[in-house]
Amino acid sequence: MLNYHFDWSIITSGKYFEWLVSGVKVTLELSAISIVFAFVLGLLLAVLRMSQVKPVRYIALAYLEFFRNTPLLVQIFFWYFGSYKILPQAVNDWLNNTNFEFAAAVIALSIYTSAFIAEDIRSGILSIPKEQMEAARSAGFSYLRSMQYIILPQAVRITVPPLVNQFLNLAKNSSLAMTIGVAELTYQARQVESYTFKGFEAFGAATVVYLVISSSITFLVYQYDRRVLNPHKAA
Amino acid sequence: MKKLMTLFAAVLLVGTLAHSALAAGDTLAEVKKKGVLVVGVKDSLPPFGYIDEKTREIVGYDIDFCKYIAKKLGVKLELKPVTSASRMPQLEEGNIDIIAATMTKNPERAKQIDFSYTYFLTGQKFITPKGKVRSLKDLAGKKIGTAKGSTSEQNVKAAIPTATVLSFDDYPQAFLALQQGKVAAVTTDESILAGILGKAPNKNKFEIPNIQISNEPYGLGMRKGDTNFVKFVDKTLLEMERNGEARKIFERWFGPKTSTPLKRTFKITADK
Repeated sequence: MLNYHFDWSIITSGKYFEWLVSGVKVTLELSAISIVFAFVLGLLLAVLRMSQVKPVRYIALAYLEFFRNTPLLVQIFFWYFGSYKILPQAVNDWLNNTNFEFAAAVIALSIYTSAFIAEDIRSGILSIPKEQMEAARSAGFSYLRSMQYIILPQAVRITVPPLVNQFLNLAKNSSLAMTIGVAELTYQARQVESYTFKGFEAFGAATVVYLVISSSITFLVYQYDRRVLNPHKAA
Repeated sequence: MKKLMTLFAAVLLVGTLAHSALAAGDTLAEVKKKGVLVVGVKDSLPPFGYIDEKTREIVGYDIDFCKYIAKKLGVKLELKPVTSASRMPQLEEGNIDIIAATMTKNPERAKQIDFSYTYFLTGQKFITPKGKVRSLKDLAGKKIGTAKGSTSEQNVKAAIPTATVLSFDDYPQAFLALQQGKVAAVTTDESILAGILGKAPNKNKFEIPNIQISNEPYGLGMRKGDTNFVKFVDKTLLEMERNGEARKIFERWFGPKTSTPLKRTFKITADK
């Protein structure tokens, strides 16, 4: 009855296998670099968002709302195609000679995800009793130093589960980079499909790889959480 | 987990059953019965298939052929926009009855679907900034833009192995990348390039150098083994060549007064 002949051999060896492997590499690079940028940026934004200085707080709020509330795909197109109109020609020429597709994808993914991460970390910070900040301040720490040494180390621990979510979202969202020609995993799977017409196999393989990447991120972050951040929590 | 797997298998099975039921059907009889021919066409690719600014309807060379076939069948015509990547799955899933979307006939595709006789013949070339590219060597090591899921992509990889091919979702996007200097050239069939260039606001900055890397015969795509329908379409195409209708359609979209003037270097023949 089956009209479709499954042929897994085409994607487990040879040319198409190499394409998928190169796609996995690009997806891993894209996700890893963007996760680092997104986390650092998100941390910074969370602190700015809670600053005592009103203008700083509002600028951070505007940034968060702007990037949280526009589609990631639009942002990717903006950085890749839209930036051309506002940058000087010399900068454009230089960018076009580099791997600008990849860079634009990293910028879009980092900035987009950082907005979500900032909100998660902020809720972590808010959950630390405010007496701790008061105690730190009266012990002579400045606001930023109190954040750095007292509040953030605790807040980040509480924030681990939502952070994992954001990292997973980022890894999966990286597939949108295919729209500007970044040859990541989904792009390569689609290439394999259009050359072989074996869509089930190509996207099946991509699905498995995404599952492995996502589970690895979850596993690694929770291991780090258990061993380093919250050793007392281990059951 | 086990329940989930069973559910998954069930969905898969239903999917394949529905799929095989459709593939085995006789489209000619079905189309006549339901009174409508559903055609997968391009909607952003002048002059083959694009949305007319005044009427907001899809028009073009591909569409005119389908209009004739639908008329011949005595049924209504329904146009459904497809992309290069989506058109074959759409056909196989039964969402459309026939593909008329600038589709090049090649042996790999012919394993999956059946093609009609060639109704348009063109070759793959490049759009480049004026005066920059004289031969293929000038494109070595450069970025070249095209659309996903097209034969253009495979041909250019073979012709210039050192080039980086950037595949976008459609040709207008690839051309935007060319205008912004993000790629050194956009490559696909000359007829499509002529259409893109014809619509470009700054067309005097670009050209189509006389470098051809392949022959591209277009065919209408139908489900594999749908013999009655294929025979009917082939017969209709030959009739259109005999009564001058095919030439008239060509002149309408590629004649000297159009924005994409080309010479008709082919005739519709029994070319399988």
